[in-house]
Amino acid sequence: MSTSEDPGKEAQDQGQHSRPTARASPLSEVFGPVVTGPYPLSPADPSRLGARTPVHSRDRCEGSGECVRVCPTEAITVEGRGEEVTFQLDYGRCIFCRRCVDVCPTGALTASPQFELATLQRDDLRLMHSRKREVAPSPPPSQLWEETRQRVSRLFGGSLAVREVDAGSCNGCEVEVSALTWPAYDSERLGIHFVASPRHADALLVTGPVTANMRLALEKTYRATPAPKFVLAVGACGISGGPFRGSPEILGGVGSVVPVQVFVPGCPPRPEALLYGFWLALGKLEQKLHRKGLEVPAGASRGGRPSSGETPKSGPEHGSTDAP
Amino acid sequence: MISPPTSVPPTTAEPTVEERDERKWVQAHSTTPPTREGTRGVWKVEVPPSQWHISQIQLSQLLHHRLSTLWAEIVPAGTTRLHGLWLGKGPCAGVLVSTELLEGEARVTTLLPHVPSALYFEREVREMFGVEFAEAPDTRPLLLHLSHPAPPFRAPASPNPQDPVSYTFLPTEGEGLYEIPVGPVHAGIIEPGQFRFQVLGEQILNLEVRLGFTHKGTERLFENRTPAQGLPLAESVSGDSSVAGAMAYLEAVEPVLGIRPSEGTQRARGLLLEAERVAFLLGDVSGISMDVGYAAGAAQANVLRQEAYSWLESLTGSRLGRSTLSVGGLYRPLPARALEGLSLRARALSDATRELLEHLDERSSVVDRIHDTGQISREVARNLALVGPVARASGIDGDVRRDRPYGPYREVDVRVALRSAGDVEARLQVKGAEILEACRLVEKFLDGGALDVPRSPETSDPLASGEGMGIVEAPRGELVVAVRLGKDSRVLRVHFRDPSYLNWPAIEYAVRGNIVPDFPLCNKSLNLSYSGFDR
Repeated sequence: MSTSEDPGKEAQDQGQHSRPTARASPLSEVFGPVVTGPYPLSPADPSRLGARTPVHSRDRCEGSGECVRVCPTEAITVEGRGEEVTFQLDYGRCIFCRRCVDVCPTGALTASPQFELATLQRDDLRLMHSRKREVAPSPPPSQLWEETRQRVSRLFGGSLAVREVDAGSCNGCEVEVSALTWPAYDSERLGIHFVASPRHADALLVTGPVTANMRLALEKTYRATPAPKFVLAVGACGISGGPFRGSPEILGGVGSVVPVQVFVPGCPPRPEALLYGFWLALGKLEQKLHRKGLEVPAGASRGGRPSSGETPKSGPEHGSTDAP
Repeated sequence: MISPPTSVPPTTAEPTVEERDERKWVQAHSTTPPTREGTRGVWKVEVPPSQWHISQIQLSQLLHHRLSTLWAEIVPAGTTRLHGLWLGKGPCAGVLVSTELLEGEARVTTLLPHVPSALYFEREVREMFGVEFAEAPDTRPLLLHLSHPAPPFRAPASPNPQDPVSYTFLPTEGEGLYEIPVGPVHAGIIEPGQFRFQVLGEQILNLEVRLGFTHKGTERLFENRTPAQGLPLAESVSGDSSVAGAMAYLEAVEPVLGIRPSEGTQRARGLLLEAERVAFLLGDVSGISMDVGYAAGAAQANVLRQEAYSWLESLTGSRLGRSTLSVGGLYRPLPARALEGLSLRARALSDATRELLEHLDERSSVVDRIHDTGQISREVARNLALVGPVARASGIDGDVRRDRPYGPYREVDVRVALRSAGDVEARLQVKGAEILEACRLVEKFLDGGALDVPRSPETSDPLASGEGMGIVEAPRGELVVAVRLGKDSRVLRVHFRDPSYLNWPAIEYAVRGNIVPDFPLCNKSLNLSYSGFDR
């Protein structure tokens, strides 16, 4: 239902890499508003996004510790006061409830609509404000769009098959993951689609804190997925156990059972955040090939498989690859 | 001011025959003076352990009450208390039967086979609390798949469980019979669970469901938290209906703390609850459409669903309405910008939904698949004590919003959709009608007066203690939360009975005699929560 006032103008201005999409389609001129959202072809409209992400301003923080007191998942630590304060916020534990923002006496914590929070390292989700967070800035969305499509094309022949594994989630993440298939997000624009079996999947998207009862099933699903493969740990639960941390019935995150390439925080992460996570994962995979001295065919034709064995899609390989 | 939720409504009329019978029964059976404190007006009856099963079988057979939930708690000195909540018709009709089992004497007689819906409850209480149900026909584990050194509620600090417990699916044998094992990892983007089909040709003879895969020990995690600290967990019992989960929990907690949310707060909550219902039920329309192979209908339903989630996002910042309801109010007021024009959008969404439903109804390829498919008879629905739209599609007339008005629903009339066919088509029709009704309620709450929300107190009385109960109509049906707060208002015990807990057995009945390819369709039309069941 989200209508677009500037159907694809920006996208068309991007030059040769751009390609008409539902949003950019001139069909909308005739048939009315297009329901597919702009991201990642162009930036998501921040006025339409809920501001849920706590953002910390170092200058304003006086170390009251109020945020620590109300945080339901122990995502925040504050040491020292005044000038000496060290503030740490773990987006891997955060459930984006904004209680910390509500109680911050100095306005150091504010709620932002930013959602491109996924990281390749668990540690990078820990925002620490006595040292600068060493994370490369996100590229402009149009680049993200083009790179995702190119990488899917080069590495996976134009189609990235994803198997969703719920390892004990509350089912909130499932709403957002399945939303990727709705017209509003339409992840197939990027070649990302969900498949029914791990046997022909390229990636596993895992939600939930990994319950003791799901451990074996997750391990088996991972082993059943042929290499090359990568795993996205999705949501506060998938990264750290989220609100269920401390329960003896959970293992506390996907990384404790299978190797994880990308961590996508959120409770749940919005569909755009998942798309961002895929971009990140594909980039890492490409880098890895570069490091191994393998050439990724730069201009691989869209939808065509790479010609040689650069991206070996061999038979099932048992869990040894891709350690983070 | 809204009347206190725990109080009994003023008796303006003479008590009905049913009320008199209930009162008579209560007085005859309770070993202590019966009260109605902290239970939404439901009678509290204390019985000796020897009367546990007899008294409840009577409630079922004499008073025609239905088992709503059954749970246990450990009270100091290792004593176990068992509770069975039996609800009747009428805003306060019902009896909470409780009994106390001393340590070493944790044994009562099963309610089966007289009360079929007691099966899962008893299996859970047995494994979690070590209570034995004499003569129980099925003592297999339910939620625990790995061995625990002691029942979890009796051993607070047990390490991660390791070894699998033995579990046998009901055996079948016969010529030409074969089994299809499914799960726990399913083909769709859904939750995990195991299904074992016994099939002859294409026809399903029997289905057995094994759940528990998403068991997170949620109820135990509530312990020792303040009521406010419990909210993120309440929202994560079944995360696709987290506003309803929070509401049920708050309905239980707030009266104990002596908090009465303002009318503006309640209207604001009502608005969010109905917006969530719209988004949720459109998902069912989409799912049914998809599973009959009509992708265009599914896509359109998801377009509409996105609209409903965008309401929640603009109202609360969260697409699922998370972290919004607070003890006593809302964490932050609903932004004026989000409220502006929402009425018109609700009307437009309602019209578009009606159009989609009519469109589906005109597609013979759709109707052919859903008509007569996955039937649940009224008798089965009653015996299993089904709730929510699933029950209403089988002719069981009940909706907590109308029958036991709470919070925002004291102000509005809720029109309840009812069908009798009990098939997928009837469930689609009921759910469709409920979307339209929820859109109407969204408009009602928007027009009903100010949605002002005072910044809520954490608690009005930091030392309040006692027990409370919340009974609400979640998108899936009746959701019950029982809480006990200790001396410093910290949670001693929370019991969450998701609507799916009662509705899960329905799928085993719905698929019988159907062909295997119709299973996903039956499944979608019931839309059962795994996490709500497993917790």
